[in-house]
Amino acid sequence: MTRKQRTVRVLIAVLAATMLVATACTPAGPITSPSSTPEASATAQIQQGGRIIEGTISDIATMQPVLSNDTASGRVIALIYDSLLIQDPKNGEPKARMATFSVSSDGLTYSFELNAKANWSDGKPVTGQDFLTAVQAVGKSAKTVRKSNYQDVQGFNEYCGPAGTGKCLATASSISGITLDSANPKKFSVKMTRVSCPAILDLNTIQPLPTQVYGKYLTATSKPEDLDTAPENASPTVFSGPFKFKEWRKGDQIILSRNDTYWQGAPNVDEYVYKVVANATAITNGLKTGELTFGSVPAKDLADMQTVDTVAIQKYQSLGYTFIGWNTLSPTAVGLADKRVRQALAYGIDMDAVIKAVVFGEATKNLAHHVAVQWAYPTTALEQYKYDKAKAQQLLKDAGWTPGPDGILVNAAGKKFSLTISTNSGNNERETLAQVAADQYKQLGIQAQARPEAFQGLVTKLTTGDQTLEATIIGWNLGGDVDPYSIWHSSNVPDPAKKVEGFGFTGFKDPAMDKAIEEGRNPTNGDCSTAARKKQYDTFNKILNENQPYNFGYSNNVLAVAQKTLQNFAPASYSTIYNVHQWWIKK
Amino acid sequence: MAPHHAEERLRNFILRRLIYAIPTLIGISIITFAIVRLSPGDPIRLFTFGQRDITGEDIERLRHLYGLDKPLPLQYVDWLLAMVQLNFGRSFIYHQDALQLLLTRVPNTLQLAVVALALQLVIGVPLGVIAALKRGTWLDGAIRIFGVAGHALPAFWLGLVLIIVFAVALRWLPSQGMLTVGKDVWDLPDRLRHILLPAFVLSLTGIANYSRILRTETLDVLSQDFVRTAHAKGLHERTVVFVHALRNALIPVVTALGGILAALVGGALVVEQVFSWPGVGQFTFQAAIAKDYPVVQAATMFVSVLLVVSYLLRDIAYAIVDPRIKTG
Repeated sequence: MTRKQRTVRVLIAVLAATMLVATACTPAGPITSPSSTPEASATAQIQQGGRIIEGTISDIATMQPVLSNDTASGRVIALIYDSLLIQDPKNGEPKARMATFSVSSDGLTYSFELNAKANWSDGKPVTGQDFLTAVQAVGKSAKTVRKSNYQDVQGFNEYCGPAGTGKCLATASSISGITLDSANPKKFSVKMTRVSCPAILDLNTIQPLPTQVYGKYLTATSKPEDLDTAPENASPTVFSGPFKFKEWRKGDQIILSRNDTYWQGAPNVDEYVYKVVANATAITNGLKTGELTFGSVPAKDLADMQTVDTVAIQKYQSLGYTFIGWNTLSPTAVGLADKRVRQALAYGIDMDAVIKAVVFGEATKNLAHHVAVQWAYPTTALEQYKYDKAKAQQLLKDAGWTPGPDGILVNAAGKKFSLTISTNSGNNERETLAQVAADQYKQLGIQAQARPEAFQGLVTKLTTGDQTLEATIIGWNLGGDVDPYSIWHSSNVPDPAKKVEGFGFTGFKDPAMDKAIEEGRNPTNGDCSTAARKKQYDTFNKILNENQPYNFGYSNNVLAVAQKTLQNFAPASYSTIYNVHQWWIKK
Repeated sequence: MAPHHAEERLRNFILRRLIYAIPTLIGISIITFAIVRLSPGDPIRLFTFGQRDITGEDIERLRHLYGLDKPLPLQYVDWLLAMVQLNFGRSFIYHQDALQLLLTRVPNTLQLAVVALALQLVIGVPLGVIAALKRGTWLDGAIRIFGVAGHALPAFWLGLVLIIVFAVALRWLPSQGMLTVGKDVWDLPDRLRHILLPAFVLSLTGIANYSRILRTETLDVLSQDFVRTAHAKGLHERTVVFVHALRNALIPVVTALGGILAALVGGALVVEQVFSWPGVGQFTFQAAIAKDYPVVQAATMFVSVLLVVSYLLRDIAYAIVDPRIKTG
């Protein structure tokens, strides 16, 4: 062997050893420590400057609130346009943000007064006209999916277009229910056609839009596509939020710069970058290397993250839940029509063990539609459905399902109890849940199997009432008002024969539940107080808890990870960025 | 054969291949359209799923607006006629021109593909030559193992391992993206640091291919009479290898280049996903998930045209380099 060959071999060996050591020894750090909260860092000297880089797995679609229908766009829009109200970060109750509000005694008129300091980045004040511009834009747009949020505003259906679609008539040139105060441009009121408890948050769906920018797309002669394809939708020019749009490198990052004229005070940081990465693993890696300032990580990465001493982890319950929906009308899994069978399926699955197996314990068992962080979460006692195999077997027996010679349950007609649990492929968590659930139901004598399929196809099957689905695992996000009408009112049960679509794909209907939902949404006595609505939702949740059209599964924890240098970062279930102007970077 | 006659035959050959490309592209357009449209799911139902108070009328209104309520053959004809005028429609998600959106990603993918191609040549060619010159030695064996590994290792796995080693553990290179946030877009050293790992992973199969081709070709050329003659004339070994042997061994590599760039562009999907590289592959993948038909169709047609054109160029190159290829 020549000297040169020896040298090459030594170099290769050193490189290989370095790689081995590097992969084997990840830096050990302290176990999760709480991030610095506003209270904790209030006494510290706030430092100006720096850049926040949030990791996300989705690019934004638009910066036009009227067209936005995705979480990523919503995040950036909330950073550049402030809203009238804000939901309390912890319990979701509506509170003043850019405007204070009051409701008339008949519950039909909402009066708003914008903060005197609220202004646009070009120096103009934010006025009631800008709210009107936003509502007119919803009415004008052909591509928005927000029209139904404003349909109870007096005169909106007469104004909105195109005529003949939905409730739009396009017969009026103005919205009669919105009145601007001629003496004070900061004041305006909105009159509703009926008492609607979700209205206050519905009216807050779209942030006030700068009339000086969008007014030209809302004239009598302008067309819907003028607004829908306006260049300002992708490159906005005037802002009311804590940041100003600077650049959108598509598929890569959105760069926002500090709005020095922000009405609540200029943010402490210079820039906010919304960085798009490919997947959750890339967010985890970016947080470890410091390329990202904050982001959410999946439960499977939590233990790994806890070894990184440069980050802090905050946990809070998500505003949603993952569930198994039973098709109570299934012609093949006929057992699902029986309440006792559905209850047996709740007792027959050890959800606590499932949570440990599927999401490493980072979730809370859920018992009804509303989750614990919502004010509508029931305070009345609900059946806990603790794992009880014997009880499950007894309920199945009571419902007429007894083990056959092969151990599989059969009914009096000799039909075997088979059950296919579908879920969206590619979602590892749900695929595991489907498999674990199928395994546990097999222990009850049910011929259960998991079937992953493309989410795109699954959605169509669910909303059109495709009866080939027997059980489905998906999840709901519950942002906005607590009103469950779209999911649980009987009018939203899809009916393929009548071509009716909806999200009530379990086929479960209950007149008492309908009444509770209607009273919680449009109360006959006009009482939209939290206490009055909560009473209705207690009834509603109790019915669901007892009838089990879903196994209500669990509500995940959000694992928000941030560099320890990020101060005042205090995310909660309803919002992450509500106090973003107060965040600062410790150098 | 008279030179002008040969030129005319070549011109006819190119013309004929261009005419053949038309039915090929129409065929691709039909297959693309059918696969995209017949896959389960509906884009409107997808992006309105869970939307509170959305009604059946709203969904029908949007389906009509996007032309999705027309019979499929009619939708195909509409799309084809518009496509001929380079109008691929507007993205359902971004509400912007699908082709423009795609074209903003093309330079990113091209950067990656070109650097990967360069790495394939810069690493693959010398490795092949060294393996041939050191035939039967441990070095030849090592290059062979590297070649097999280059083919066998899945790009997503290798990419993740390299990120863990070089970005997370050693902190030598970034884990994702094209540029450090806040850096100037013309900061070339920063760009180089970002492109190194993805380009290496993307180039690995090519490196393995080239080293194998070059090894075989070099051995073949080295055993030919003209090389023996060169040796006999007393030329230096280096001159024989690099001036005489390598030049001949490179011919199949050069002619294969045309198809490879298109293949790299089309094949960058996995690498772009692993390294969060905002290129055509990642964009198309996201569009496919969201059932953004105009974008998926535009992207598929773009890569198809690139492939057809590059294969055409390759065939022309073959025809020029090797007159045995039938042009008449």
